[in-house]
Amino acid sequence: MKITTKLGLLFAGMIIVFVLLGVTLLAQMKSVSSGYDALLASPVRDIDAARVVQVNFKKEVQEWKDTLLRGHKPEDLAKYSKQFHEREAAVRNGAVALSQTVQDQEAHELLVKFIAADDVMSAKYQRAYNVFVAGNADFKAADALVRGQDRPPTDLFDKVVSRLDARVKSTVAAQQLSVRRNQSLALGISAGLLFLLGLLGFLTVRSIVQRLAALRGVSQRLANADVEGLSIDISGKDEIGEFGESMKGVRAAIEELLHVAQASSKAA
Amino acid sequence: MAAKLTEFYAQAAKQYGVMGRMKLAMLTKISSEKAGNEPDSPDNIKLFEQAMLQLKAA
Repeated sequence: MKITTKLGLLFAGMIIVFVLLGVTLLAQMKSVSSGYDALLASPVRDIDAARVVQVNFKKEVQEWKDTLLRGHKPEDLAKYSKQFHEREAAVRNGAVALSQTVQDQEAHELLVKFIAADDVMSAKYQRAYNVFVAGNADFKAADALVRGQDRPPTDLFDKVVSRLDARVKSTVAAQQLSVRRNQSLALGISAGLLFLLGLLGFLTVRSIVQRLAALRGVSQRLANADVEGLSIDISGKDEIGEFGESMKGVRAAIEELLHVAQASSKAA
Repeated sequence: MAAKLTEFYAQAAKQYGVMGRMKLAMLTKISSEKAGNEPDSPDNIKLFEQAMLQLKAA
């Protein structure tokens, strides 16, 4: 094979290897990106929505306490009861929406239980509110009706949040593991291909350099007309082999010239 | 003995002189001294015939 062909193939091989590496890296980036997109699309979105509901639930209870504490003034009663009902609606709507989209079965079941418990709690709050208003801001009577009633839904929703949080953590861990595995694979493939290419390049260059060195030795001896016992063992079908064949012709010509000169000097 | 190959050298010397012998050696890669030890094989004869044609054409 000609040297130009060998070098051309080596160059083409390098380009192919780098294109393959580029394609592999792009595919891996796409895989990692879609993995994180999936993570953001479901588990992270669910836990965010759950935390919003959790905060609204705590604010709802806080609004109830404000209603009892400050509801003796009509304007405060109107203000805090309005805010209480807004939070109540936000909690219910948020919990229902989350239960419809959440993909985790256990979290879904907990949410259904929470919604039922929240309904029960809301009805009790409403009765307590009525007692509070009818009893001329009798907060003790109203509080006695709902005292501790927020515990079961709170505990249920804490479990929802814990469950979704654990799901996010496990999904993130799985994604990180997948990324590390992909990185190792990419590094392994890259290192393997580069090593193979480097080895091929080294062997090609070494072969060329060694044969060029042999050719240089032959040409130096021919330059000195030192053809006695000169062996030209430069084989191959490339440019160096062709050059070696030409050198054999030069050697024969010098031998012939020396032979003629020797014969002439004898004749003289 | 390679009588035919040696004869090619004699012919080259006669027709083209020393330069002819040198060119024949260069083209065949066999000097006259070595040609004397080479066999008159069909391949060798063909090689010398082609070289002579090239000398003639030059």
